[in-house]
Amino acid sequence: MDDKLIEFANLMRDNGVRVSTAETLDAVAAAALIGFRDRDSFRAALRSTMVKRSRDLPAFEQLFEIYFSGLGEIIKQAGEAVRNEMAMTEREFQEFIEQVEKFLKEQGNELSDLARRLLENNSGELQRMIAAAAREIQLNRMERSLEQNHFAQALARALGLDRLQGEMRSLHDRLPPQEDDLASARMKEYFERRMKALDDIIRRYVRMQGEQREVRARASSQLDQVGDKSFFFLSQEELDRMNQAVTQLAQRLKSIVAVRRRHARRGRFDIKRTLRHNLQNGGVPFDLHFDRRRKDKPQVVMLCDVSDSVRNASRFMLQFVYSLQELYSRVRSFVFVAEIGEVTPLFRDRDLKEALDAALSGDIINVYSHSNFGSAFRAFAHEHLGAINRRTTVIILGDARNNYNLPHDWCLREIRQRAQRLIWLNPESRGTWGFGDSEMERYAVHCDTVEECRNLNQLYRVIDRLVPR
Amino acid sequence: MFSSIEDVSDRFAEQKYIASRRIATVIYLASRLMKPILVEGAAGVGKTELAKVLAAALDYELIRLQCYEGLDESKALYEWEYAKQLLYSQILKDKIGEVLSGSRGLAEAVDQIAREDNVFFSERFILPRPLLRAITSERPVVLLVDEIDKADAEFEAFLLELLSDFQVTVPEIGTLRARSIPLVVLTSNNAREMSDALKRRCLHLYIDFPDHAQELAIVKLKAPEASHSLAEEVVTMVQSLRKIDLKKTPGISETIDWIKALTLLNLDTLEHQLVNDTLDTIVKYEADIRKAQEELKNHLRDLRSRRPPASGEDKDLLN
Repeated sequence: MDDKLIEFANLMRDNGVRVSTAETLDAVAAAALIGFRDRDSFRAALRSTMVKRSRDLPAFEQLFEIYFSGLGEIIKQAGEAVRNEMAMTEREFQEFIEQVEKFLKEQGNELSDLARRLLENNSGELQRMIAAAAREIQLNRMERSLEQNHFAQALARALGLDRLQGEMRSLHDRLPPQEDDLASARMKEYFERRMKALDDIIRRYVRMQGEQREVRARASSQLDQVGDKSFFFLSQEELDRMNQAVTQLAQRLKSIVAVRRRHARRGRFDIKRTLRHNLQNGGVPFDLHFDRRRKDKPQVVMLCDVSDSVRNASRFMLQFVYSLQELYSRVRSFVFVAEIGEVTPLFRDRDLKEALDAALSGDIINVYSHSNFGSAFRAFAHEHLGAINRRTTVIILGDARNNYNLPHDWCLREIRQRAQRLIWLNPESRGTWGFGDSEMERYAVHCDTVEECRNLNQLYRVIDRLVPR
Repeated sequence: MFSSIEDVSDRFAEQKYIASRRIATVIYLASRLMKPILVEGAAGVGKTELAKVLAAALDYELIRLQCYEGLDESKALYEWEYAKQLLYSQILKDKIGEVLSGSRGLAEAVDQIAREDNVFFSERFILPRPLLRAITSERPVVLLVDEIDKADAEFEAFLLELLSDFQVTVPEIGTLRARSIPLVVLTSNNAREMSDALKRRCLHLYIDFPDHAQELAIVKLKAPEASHSLAEEVVTMVQSLRKIDLKKTPGISETIDWIKALTLLNLDTLEHQLVNDTLDTIVKYEADIRKAQEELKNHLRDLRSRRPPASGEDKDLLN
């Protein structure tokens, strides 16, 4: 059993569930305590010892089904099938098996174990023998479904199917000719069906092993993969997962901020002030004074391109801005295509989904026009320049594809002069900047940093730098 | 100690807690393997309750440590009772003077005091906090570390050390070893991911919202005064509320509160006006209430179409 658990642990690891050696040991101890007669308890024991992240639970359930419902179930089903084909009730079948056992005993000890177990319908022993044979031929090294036939034959050989066939023939011959005896006719039928059943068991078992392989090969740790995938190529399911990731990100951000704030609460010991204040105590330092660090509240102004070309990316950026706005009081957000409009109050008052939908739906600005960064920047410079002071970080998200309009890059210079820093995040890959109608190079001159931000991991990095230390 | 999984279920049932096979198995394993249990799940599925019931079922004392941001060792483990020490030294001033009377010179006096200082740094002046109480208790206890995700990562690391050795070193006194290993239950709302090291040492139990039948059974156990039809309707309603996207999904405790409130108002089926008025017992946010009302309307409409046509009193169901 221990082997089986260790193999199961490996299977889980192959599927991106982290299972440590210590946890495998726990599982072994737990299994020894619980036993595996009661499937639900056994499953619960493995689940609690091996799976520690709730998002791994579905993978565990799936793998458990495949791995442990295995051979025993197949053999049981095959036995049932034989009984059904012979149209007997369970009781009749039981009595019939007893007859068979008597007949086998009369035949003496020449029979192989396999034949005996098979005919006596001893599923436990049969399972053990097949599992042993499977280990012998290293069935778990099967990799492609094309190999299934080959492995099925190998398994049959390892089990000793050749010998079994011979034995069956001789048993068949030793039975009285069937015209005389109904019982012997049934016995003959039973032998044949059993042979077929064994064949069936072997095939199904090998196929099931193949399925396990496939699960193993299937996408492993999925979140990590999404992290490196560009915003443009996400499917709906991945978008959902991405949403989840951004929420997690915001939460992580909150805890980072909490820790950094706590560390920053007290500054260094201020000797001068301490001495001055304690003059009245004769210089004995009763009251200690520390530098008080000024809290560095981030003031962020976010300009987000919501034109069709960057739609996915801007959605996530807005979602991030939304969390940021929940976190800090001084965040202002704007969306633009050709016009520019403020969405700060929208984000403040509504819940995330509604706010995002409203921001992207065209209520604030016309989202169906062609991008015109120049005019949007000029409008911003005219109307909202007051939003920026020397502590403001300005973040612009956009691909800088200006449709050959006037770039008005002087607006950026104005913004840059007033702001603490100006960051441009471009969801296009770096190689394409400056080609075609991209004005990235012209705008980049006025920015402190220009980052490629086309997937979640890059977003992570950007955010980490944004949070003040 | 529990003798089998069934024993766990039975004793939990005595305490009015319906433990699924999975929960019972994990509890049994934890008590036999002496491992802490990390319980995760949404708010209101009965995580804290689990620990309370565990203590009651075993007739152990429950020691609870509520975690919060900034929780540190002096709040969780032990603290010196400065005030008491000060008081004692004031009262014993004369005695101290006596001890010191024979000494010549400052150095000798300090030496003499130093020889006696373990009087003041003894277990007498230690103020035990939950963790120390749990491991120095004569009888085994259930230690509930509630909402561990609220505590800082440093505290988690500290807890880890305690949970692996079950001993504490107080510099002035020495090492205090556990007299009996406590059963530890940690709960987490998943506000942040716990460290792998902690998870590795624990048995993990994820409690999900119960299905319809389970919740009905729980409600009947906890609020036996409610009529069957009301319980049935409320549970169906809450189950459907959980499917829509709410800021805070109603938990089991909310279901029970709601049923109790409705029973108090002498209702035996859901009625629109009263349900609307009491909706804030299960839904806690303004935006959620709006969504819930919408859902409720649909729900009641369905319900009415299925219910046998009643007399005029049903007319104002949908105002």
